Amino acid sequence: MALSAFASRLRDALGPEVVRSEPEDLAVYAFDAYSEDRLPSAAIVPHDAREVAIAVRIARDCEEPVVPRGAGTGLCGGAVPTRGGLVVSFARMNRLVELDVRNRRARVQPGLINLDLSTAIAGHGIFYAPDPSSQKISTIGGNVGTNAGGAHCLSYGTTTNHVLGIEYVDAAGDLHRTSIDEAGYDLTGVMVGSEGTLGIITEVDVRLLKLPEAVRVCVAAFADVESASEAVSAIIGAGIVPTALEIMDALITRAVEAHYHAGYPENAGAVLLVELAGASDDVAAGEASLAKIARAHGALSWRAARDQAERDLLWAARKGAAGAMGRIAPNYYIQDACVPRTRLPAVMHRIDAIAREHALPVGNVFHAGDGNLHPLLIFDRREPRQVQAVIDAGTEILQTCIEMGGTISGEHGIGYEKRETLSLVFSADDLATMGKVRDVFDPLRGLNPDKIFPAGAVCGEVRSA
Amino acid sequence: MIAKRPRAKRAKEAATGAFALGALVPVRVVEPSDADELAAALRAANDAGEAVVLHGGGTLQGAANAPTRYDVAISTRRLDALHDYDPRDLTAGVGAGTSVAQMQRTLAEHGQFLPLDAPLASAATIGGTLAAGWAGPRRAAYGRPRDLLIGMHVALADGTLAVSGGMVVKNVTGYDMGKLYVGSHGTLAAIVRANFKVLPAPATRRLAVAPFDEDERYRAVAHAAALELEPAALLVIDGFREAPPPVQPRLVVLLEGSEPVVERATRELRSALGAAGVAETRLLDRDDAARAFQNVLDAYVARSGDASVTLLARGLPSEAALRAQRVRAAIPRAETIADLRTGDVVVRVEGARAQQARELLGRAVVLSAGPAAQIDAWGAPPSTLATMRALKEGFDPRGTLAPGRFVGGL
Repeated sequence: MALSAFASRLRDALGPEVVRSEPEDLAVYAFDAYSEDRLPSAAIVPHDAREVAIAVRIARDCEEPVVPRGAGTGLCGGAVPTRGGLVVSFARMNRLVELDVRNRRARVQPGLINLDLSTAIAGHGIFYAPDPSSQKISTIGGNVGTNAGGAHCLSYGTTTNHVLGIEYVDAAGDLHRTSIDEAGYDLTGVMVGSEGTLGIITEVDVRLLKLPEAVRVCVAAFADVESASEAVSAIIGAGIVPTALEIMDALITRAVEAHYHAGYPENAGAVLLVELAGASDDVAAGEASLAKIARAHGALSWRAARDQAERDLLWAARKGAAGAMGRIAPNYYIQDACVPRTRLPAVMHRIDAIAREHALPVGNVFHAGDGNLHPLLIFDRREPRQVQAVIDAGTEILQTCIEMGGTISGEHGIGYEKRETLSLVFSADDLATMGKVRDVFDPLRGLNPDKIFPAGAVCGEVRSA
Repeated sequence: MIAKRPRAKRAKEAATGAFALGALVPVRVVEPSDADELAAALRAANDAGEAVVLHGGGTLQGAANAPTRYDVAISTRRLDALHDYDPRDLTAGVGAGTSVAQMQRTLAEHGQFLPLDAPLASAATIGGTLAAGWAGPRRAAYGRPRDLLIGMHVALADGTLAVSGGMVVKNVTGYDMGKLYVGSHGTLAAIVRANFKVLPAPATRRLAVAPFDEDERYRAVAHAAALELEPAALLVIDGFREAPPPVQPRLVVLLEGSEPVVERATRELRSALGAAGVAETRLLDRDDAARAFQNVLDAYVARSGDASVTLLARGLPSEAALRAQRVRAAIPRAETIADLRTGDVVVRVEGARAQQARELLGRAVVLSAGPAAQIDAWGAPPSTLATMRALKEGFDPRGTLAPGRFVGGL
């Protein structure tokens, strides 16, 4: 097939080893974990920021949009090249560039896999705290793009709390470096979570934490999700903040156990996974108070993992929950929303009702301590009526969360999927204010178009490739 | 939403003298009682081509340059409502004019706290502390104020009211606009309200003060920096006699947490310092510890004379003590605080020596300067200044908000 002018310019500048332009090579860059896909005109797998900058300049000259891509695990279509153009894959830029153990910071390339960072530094008694469930495959760059969360945000915060600075290529192809310690506007802070719409991140300075002295992981069984949620609200209300508070309902627990045999109580209506970490005195005392609160709110059992191996297995099973569902459900749709923690029991009750109204089985696995919900609606893609029911139920769930003082994405991002929903949360003025930032960084809308902002709202996507 | 016209009851106006900045005194001072009034005042000034400076408690107004133009002062003093606080959610939304101390008292009633570390906390406001980008010693333990912020309401220069974030602790819905407003010194927007995630207060608090002799310095610092149970704050203070006790040099160590852990940390600290030859560690507990720690924070903005300048240099924890020492070695009577956990170095010198101190530190910003001191608050601008300038023009095209106060003349 004849090369497009765009692809041949890229190839001339960067060589065939970096540039992909055959349709069969491009297919892998057409989609992420969302349902839409579209082939890009070209993809590059650069070695360094300089190559990214060259490619961005060529794309700008050719009026082709640029979409950065980590591991493609995003659930909202953030990495889908909805207008074709250029996909920048960071598969080769996956190095730990610098490690400063004493000052607990590291400089990493965006393609470094999240878990690989913590594994590489564990011997120094330090770790990288943000741990999305996809951490075995998702990249630091992608995590920064979506301000990814994870199970341990409860005490450690989300990705943005662990980014000290970045290096990025701007829409014009120029390279910049930022630091949160420099005087001036916090460009780092606004860039994190901007889903590739403000710049292409080529390096990240991250904050590392000291490994806790003691860790304890416990599992409690409850009769149903509502009572487990009430226990979580009570724990937070009592002023105890464990490092993680996760709930799985019966459906999810059974799916997880079938695959992992981790020792979760399969007959429970819901299980609560609790992790405490810190000074050994606090962890022991904390477990005693948590067990007491859990029992007061209907816990049927309470069990602590005996050793590291058992803890690891419980976590592996929890983080593999969505994957385990994939093995038993024909298709599922995972939603992401966040509510104030006192509203958990009420919102869980409502989600159950919505799923019933639409005759859809629902599984719930979520970061309860943060009020961050992930209902999984189970359906069969071959049944058009079920597909519509999932879309309707998903929207109703988001509306319920907004009514309860919550929001439409806790950690997955807005991407392509939820951009129209954004105006349920924010006024036109709120969005126009965010649009001012976009105007400064990407006036031509060449960086990841069609993402975050509602179509045709404040900053109509001017160009099409 | 377009801001409403001011109601019949006009935003209150106050005396202008107290709001002077540098040689400039505003023509009028407005004290709006809610977001709409503030937005209306801003819009009126913007339409009239007037320059506006927002005022909280004024505690960090010395940490920016005097504006190039200045017509209207807007005080956030009356925006002090507690909008949304359910202790069981561990979140709170407050008006920008709420004093930090008032906020702490409200949270303390429910066993919670917000570790903002603001100097002069009774006067300092939530909005001012955020706008100034203040981040104190305890950020190593609890995060920076920006990390605890979960939502923000602002008024733009043209009177538009805009919201970002929300009242939930995890949120990736739209751009994280709060990050831009924090530390922007009122040059992008006026902060009207801030939402925070708050934390359960530590069960107890202890401040340990360990004076040391010069020949013990190296080992005392090294041993303190290597403590297994890490303190909430760990400072080496030379000078700053207003921060008690007035002995020097000394290590100031804040321990926070449960009783058993604070006891264990105290034993570990005493043994580590004892091994370094430091004979005595004085302890203050609970309210005494909190008061003394506040006095230490107050010293960050205290002046030692009409021409004194206090500089803040951020950097690596492993280098803080050495950088402070370099300044003391070169500049007689230089006073320093080296923060061994965050890497901050705070230096107070006579104005005539401020430039020299800045050069020794590499980069440093002004925290406080006496009226007779002549120094640019920011020093060399960052390499991303062009992008910052474009942001300023996008948000405030008429240069209404605090013109010239920020780095690079923003």
